[in-house]
Amino acid sequence: MTDHTVATTTRQVLLVVVFAVQLVLMLPSLVAHPHGTAAWIAYGLLTAVLAVVAGCTAAAVPTPAFLAVAPLVASVLATTALPAGASFSPADWGFGLVGWYLLLVLVERPMALVAALSAHICFSIAWFAREGGGDAGTAGVVILSGTSFQLGVLVVTRVLHRDAGLAAEAAAEHDAARTREELARQREQDLRAGFEGQLGALLPLLADLADERVSAADQTTRLRCSVAAVQLRRLFAENDDVPDPLLHELTACVDVAERRGVVVSLAVSGTATPVPTEVRRELVAPMAQALAVADGRAKVSLLRTATEVRVAVVADAPEALPAPGRTGAVVVETSVHSGLVRSEARWRTT
Amino acid sequence: MADDVTAVVVDDHPVVRAGVAHWLSTADIELVASGEDPEVAWTGPGASAAVVVLDLHLGGVAPATSALRKLVEDGRRVVVYSMRADDEIVLQCLEIGALSYLTKAEGADHLVQAVKAAAEGQSYTPPALAGALAGDRSDTRPALSPRETEVLVEWFQSESKEFVAQRLNITLSTVNSHLERIRVKYAAIGRQAPTKAALVARAIQDGLIGLDDL
Repeated sequence: MTDHTVATTTRQVLLVVVFAVQLVLMLPSLVAHPHGTAAWIAYGLLTAVLAVVAGCTAAAVPTPAFLAVAPLVASVLATTALPAGASFSPADWGFGLVGWYLLLVLVERPMALVAALSAHICFSIAWFAREGGGDAGTAGVVILSGTSFQLGVLVVTRVLHRDAGLAAEAAAEHDAARTREELARQREQDLRAGFEGQLGALLPLLADLADERVSAADQTTRLRCSVAAVQLRRLFAENDDVPDPLLHELTACVDVAERRGVVVSLAVSGTATPVPTEVRRELVAPMAQALAVADGRAKVSLLRTATEVRVAVVADAPEALPAPGRTGAVVVETSVHSGLVRSEARWRTT
Repeated sequence: MADDVTAVVVDDHPVVRAGVAHWLSTADIELVASGEDPEVAWTGPGASAAVVVLDLHLGGVAPATSALRKLVEDGRRVVVYSMRADDEIVLQCLEIGALSYLTKAEGADHLVQAVKAAAEGQSYTPPALAGALAGDRSDTRPALSPRETEVLVEWFQSESKEFVAQRLNITLSTVNSHLERIRVKYAAIGRQAPTKAALVARAIQDGLIGLDDL
């Protein structure tokens, strides 16, 4: 049960109680004794409060706190309109009823409720003392019995509220734990899927080698190995924490090619620009592929202008050219002139 | 003609001076003096050399831009030859008035061409310099045409003007005149220098560039 449910239910129960007390217990007392006109005004005022609270409850909006002024006014009106010396007697219909009304209006605000109840009781006692002629013992019993019952209800409500709060917290904590668990699972899955996706040519190649469908003696297989080696090396570099990740990945690919004996020169121009991982992958891929199969010499360049990032490779014509086209935000262009292949990947930063 | 070209080399490494001397001698360029101090370009035979090949890092921490500035203000034709390849210093040297900027990773061919061009008061744009110009994001950079930018980028990427010419379907001399126009546009901005003014004036005389383009 949530806090809100507790509040609504409490108010509904109190509405029924107050309605019953007003109609069944207090109306006969009001009619049976000679009260002043103010008593009827007080009765009407209280009925109006009842209607407002019922309306608020039905519309599921909180009862405004200033509504508590009405029962207090009714308290003054009803007490002053009592027949002489009738305070706390069976003729005093208002004392208990006002208490219930205050409880109804201020049940969500314990401090305000205690203050308002105290004011109501003090005024009644003061009036009782001023008029005189009543039995102090009877008065004490009436005050104690009525007030303790109302305070009892208040305490029960607070306990219910606290329990509902604790239960809600526990439920929220449980939900959060489940969400965290789910997220962790999803992340792991993504990582695994990501690696599988980026490993690209490697897994089929390993499978083919293991099944002896291809032989390492073939030139084609060696080219495939070379491509896979560059891809792997780039993948290892991808998550390194470096100031210029794109250049870092390019350097990694150049490094693999140099180990194969290719003479690679790397030229860099412009300042480092943030490039999303996905775009970086697409920018590096064509150049990595060309380098993996390059013979002799290759020139890799990285150019960063105000609007573009361009990664290009010019190499002795390799056998497998990077495919031209557009993958996502990156445009790849490949051409061959006088025995040299040039492949360029471009990404617009703006 | 080539016999008339004289040069002085300022570099703090004897091995670099020796290497440059050898490269220049194979191209019939006479090395009249060399040393580790810029003074060598002001005194003795060095003072009359047509071209100064200047290393930017002469032992000290700060680049020798003041030495470059002094030479340029005196109307000397300077080719900067440096370890440093960062764009900022490259662009700064051009702004001061160097006719060319070469990194030490660039070989003999580029150095010889740069010195020969400088001897005639011409600019030379090697690939690394082209890259620095293509990546220039400063507010004062001159407006380049799309074709000029493309030539600059392709030259930086391929290091082969023949390849650029084939790729863009233009002649080799068109590639060169695009690069010259770019350098003239750069010469027209920033502080005044005799070498820069001469570049612009000659380009206008030759009809390489119109006043409207600057």
